[in-house]
Amino acid sequence: MNAALEAEGLVKRYGVRTAVDDLSFSVPRGAIYGVLGPNGAGKSTTLRMLVGVLRPTAGKIALLGGPVTRQTLQRVGYLPEERGLYRGMSARAAIAYLARLKGVASRQAFKRADQLLSDHGLGQVRRKKIKTLSKGMAQKVQVLAAIAHEPDLIIFDEPFSGLDPVNQRVLEETIRAQAAAGRTILFSTHVMEHAERLCDRILLIANGRKAFEGTVRDALALAPSLAVIETDGAYDIAPVLAPRGFEWTEEQGEHGNRRWRVRLKNGHGARQLLAACVEAGAPLTLFEPARASLHEAFVALVGEDGARAAQ
Amino acid sequence: MSAIFLVARRDYLAYVGAWGFWLSLILAPLLMAALMFAPLLLARAEPPRVLAVLAERAEDAATVTAAFRDLARRDARREIAAYLDAAAPAVAAEAKQAFDAATDRAAAIAAARAVVAERMPQALRAFPAPSPRYIIVDPPAGAVEALRPYLDGSQLLPDGGNLYGALNIRRSAGEPLIEYWSVNLSHDEPSNIARAAMRMAMQREALAAHGLDPAEADRLNALEPRVAQFDPRPAAGGEQVTVRDRAPFYAAIALAFILWSVVFSVANMLLTGVIEEKSNKILDTLLTSVTPLEMLIGKLLGVAAVSATLFLFWGALGGGLLSLAAEQASVSIFGQVAAAFLEPRLLITFGVGFVAGYLMYGAIFLALGSLCESIQEAQTLLGPVALVLAMPMMLITPALDNPNAPIIEAASWIPLFTPFLLLIRAPAGLSWFEIAGQGALMLLAVALVLFLAARLFKAGVVNQLSVSTLFRRKAKG
Repeated sequence: MNAALEAEGLVKRYGVRTAVDDLSFSVPRGAIYGVLGPNGAGKSTTLRMLVGVLRPTAGKIALLGGPVTRQTLQRVGYLPEERGLYRGMSARAAIAYLARLKGVASRQAFKRADQLLSDHGLGQVRRKKIKTLSKGMAQKVQVLAAIAHEPDLIIFDEPFSGLDPVNQRVLEETIRAQAAAGRTILFSTHVMEHAERLCDRILLIANGRKAFEGTVRDALALAPSLAVIETDGAYDIAPVLAPRGFEWTEEQGEHGNRRWRVRLKNGHGARQLLAACVEAGAPLTLFEPARASLHEAFVALVGEDGARAAQ
Repeated sequence: MSAIFLVARRDYLAYVGAWGFWLSLILAPLLMAALMFAPLLLARAEPPRVLAVLAERAEDAATVTAAFRDLARRDARREIAAYLDAAAPAVAAEAKQAFDAATDRAAAIAAARAVVAERMPQALRAFPAPSPRYIIVDPPAGAVEALRPYLDGSQLLPDGGNLYGALNIRRSAGEPLIEYWSVNLSHDEPSNIARAAMRMAMQREALAAHGLDPAEADRLNALEPRVAQFDPRPAAGGEQVTVRDRAPFYAAIALAFILWSVVFSVANMLLTGVIEEKSNKILDTLLTSVTPLEMLIGKLLGVAAVSATLFLFWGALGGGLLSLAAEQASVSIFGQVAAAFLEPRLLITFGVGFVAGYLMYGAIFLALGSLCESIQEAQTLLGPVALVLAMPMMLITPALDNPNAPIIEAASWIPLFTPFLLLIRAPAGLSWFEIAGQGALMLLAVALVLFLAARLFKAGVVNQLSVSTLFRRKAKG
């Protein structure tokens, strides 16, 4: 079996409220898989069901080829969205404790804890209590605790939240390194850029339902192409674009210029746009075809209203 | 099993690593000793209360003054006799005899002390120096009105002290009328002492009026039967009830109080522990490695190990001291009480009571903790639980009078109270039916509470159920 994780028809209801609705997806072994969606989309609920913290109202989960049991969960590393460690424990003791709960022998657990802390620049604080560490450091310790037992599948819930840009990059490297070591990684985020940079495949969720599952490239293909143009001074290009059926949004340009983000559709390609601008004598200072972002793909999939409603 | 052990071990180490644990370990025996001895020390430390006696007739003043003098002598005898029975039983009878033979209080104390000094000088070091409850002084003024400033504290006595109260004995149509003046309205013992003394004087006068010699009247008044108490049960052997027989009852109540305090304290540790884990947001991480039931059992075992450590330390300390005292059980009251504490039947009941009480209350507190996000939230739930937990303690006073009173018997069938009341009732003798019935009920209750608590705990730790959602549902409903 190639899938590290398979979910089929997952449903989670709290009374009359449905948090996750008929969600099916499959995570290939060795992949970096992103679960994306705005806050409240049902990402954390989905992940908590995957690791057995919550029982699904309906649906099936196959974790590493088997049901969600103690045995399969021993091979899973999990970083919850709401994180924390025992504040009175030292960093190495906290990592070793969680590794021991996953079945690692005591001596080995402490050895790995020391090694991981040292590898991630925390060797100096390994004997310091969690309560004395900065928030970023404590979060790093918890990430290390989730991987100390060398799991086959790593599930991170919003791992980048709360980290500064430098530590976000360090975490991205950690995720890549774990994937390079043959592990499957699934993480959730509401920041699409992380997924764009890291993921082989993504799952987009809105209002508890699947909006898309596939590669990042496939997702981006669903979004309309764009061109960014900038006009000199206060020149207004709207009268040029509107009669020709272009859609656009205006952004703040540089040096007092006006910048326009124009959506390119069938029949309204970059060439037509450039021709229209030249024909109208628009004082262009920039014309740049742009790649759509995952956010735009998400908007294209669920619509502006859907994206707004989800948020 | 390994997960349960790891959870229990972590909790145990976290608790014993906290300074509060060591503080409890050391302070609890000291506080317990202070609780036992503080009332005695306070009573001894309190200076005698100063009273003045005014009377229209000099013989009334003399009667009341003599009553207070006799009271002081009786108190002194009681205190010295209790000390002699406990610390110098070999010379107690002789010393009491010497006390009784002396004419006044100071001489009586000196006579008893002299016997101890001669026959058992090692017991002289802690020989009591009794202080009278009341001292009668000459009134600083001849009328109650003039005494008012002294009584309300605005004026001091010539020696600089305060006047506690004044007894004014008037005559109305020849009959005595006792007025007691004092700002301490809730304390009327002086007036009762004066009334008893004056009643005896009135009886003596009345009998004299009928031609009876006052000395004969005093003799008749002093007539009193001797009272002996017996235990009808065959095991008691038909001998008169002594302190040795009563000691198990006192020991049982003391042990019940200790049991109650420890159960309440350790259950509270469980509650705060799980709330701390919830606020530290660590539960989701743990729940991928440990099931909620394993976590509940691990936590119960961890804190049970903490309790065992406390009991081992206190048991070694207290048991050692009690064993030393119990060696004197044949001759000393302290020894007899100490021996009662070491009675295997009581200790076994204590052990069983602790296990059952701890599991029931511990599981309830854990479940409540899992529903709360903060200590403040927990306090809203703890009120009713604390009331339930306090109820067995409210039954201690009636249990002291009669451990088999219907209310105590009925309450001991309620499993939440059984651990404490079974212990209190143990010395009175329990039928096999009661032991088996209440034990079985308690076991069932433990199983039921653990089952329900595990379900609540499971819902609470994954945040599917909380105090706020409970209240919201109630409000909606």
